[in-house]
Amino acid sequence: MKDINLKINGKSYRLSTNEDMRLIDVLRDELGLLGSKEGCGEGECGACTILMEGRTVNACMVMAFQTDEKEIITIEGLSNGEQLHPIQQAFIEIGAVQCGFCTPGMILSAKAILDKDTNPTREMIRQGISGNLCRCTGYAKIVDAIELAGKLLRNGGNNCEA
Amino acid sequence: MSLKNVYVAKTLDEVLNLLNQYGCESKLIAGGTDVIIQLREKEISPKVLVDISNLSEINFIDESEDKITIGACTTFTTIAESSILKDKLKGLVQSAESVGSPQIRNAATIGGNICNASMAADIVPPLLALDAEVLIESKAGKRRILLDHFLMGKGKVDIKPEEIVTAITFNKPKNREALGFGKLGLRKALAIARISTAIYLSLDEENTCRKIRIANGAVGFRGMREKEVENIFIGKQLTEDVINMGIEKLREELNQRLAGRSSAEFKTTAIAGIFKKALLETANNCKE
Repeated sequence: MKDINLKINGKSYRLSTNEDMRLIDVLRDELGLLGSKEGCGEGECGACTILMEGRTVNACMVMAFQTDEKEIITIEGLSNGEQLHPIQQAFIEIGAVQCGFCTPGMILSAKAILDKDTNPTREMIRQGISGNLCRCTGYAKIVDAIELAGKLLRNGGNNCEA
Repeated sequence: MSLKNVYVAKTLDEVLNLLNQYGCESKLIAGGTDVIIQLREKEISPKVLVDISNLSEINFIDESEDKITIGACTTFTTIAESSILKDKLKGLVQSAESVGSPQIRNAATIGGNICNASMAADIVPPLLALDAEVLIESKAGKRRILLDHFLMGKGKVDIKPEEIVTAITFNKPKNREALGFGKLGLRKALAIARISTAIYLSLDEENTCRKIRIANGAVGFRGMREKEVENIFIGKQLTEDVINMGIEKLREELNQRLAGRSSAEFKTTAIAGIFKKALLETANNCKE
């Protein structure tokens, strides 16, 4: 067993993990953070996308012991209590969620895009979500939602009426 | 489970000691994008995993008067965003940008891409075209070897269990020299290269090819130089005729190498377009 210190969504966890566990296993099986999905398990689909030290990575492509002392954000860390994050609000508003399996990863890739630039071009958005597969929406509404989320962030809130 | 111990290395010295101690029972892990799949498919079963992704000592892009050196643990995102590697080295940036997806590029490293030795490794053709050298260290000392010699075959490189690749180094392009890149995948993101090509070109004022190094990926058991094709171009002006002669030779080479493969016809046809586009872009970049 290997002891690791995890910092997930601002909370510290001290865990004893099996050497062969991946981050996705720890998130889902040990901590019950079921927002991150495991799709392909080989870095193709992006359903397990999380933010590590501010950058998107696939949680199925990181060994748990490699995340010792790393700052991690999962979908569970985005809303502020009942208050949804502007990106989440925008996805609902536009109807960018169908089956929802890709949504947590998609939203974290969206966050990485908008953390860099709250006014990205559609091409920048498409590039930024190119590692997240969605088999329902055809992506158009997801791109629309990320554009709207950028606008909400620029206006400093998640009021879609404004 | 064969995995008994995992280490997060903080210094290169620590890595060298661990490799010396565990040798072939150990495996290095950086970005993990290949190693984790190999572990799970039981293609490899090391007793010890040594994480090197935090080693700042081998995570750098360094520019001297005539050389550029890239630390082995530098990620593709860092390479793609580097202010040192733009303009004349656009081909290197384009190849880094073509790797996997943002998530993969944020984790995967140049050293890992080389050591994994896939025949379709994206960064290998540009580095071969740059005639890059690989810097290797072990507790016993350091050595350097041409990448062209380091790559031995599919999944095989010239490295001992107690050694680690620490950096890649190559000469900086001089005036009227540039590196170009082209890749054909089944789609834009997350595509394994079906064909990739890289061209290092040196043109004089008369548009005559002083030097050229061409390397292709995914058309052989490893990325490889196309010396026969290079010979067509050297000392000649880059006219339409010469370019077409070069393409003919390239197709001949590929035809031989891919004989019997189902992809041969497609690849020998498609290479013409990919190569020509990359060559013309590189020639323009030489003149800028």
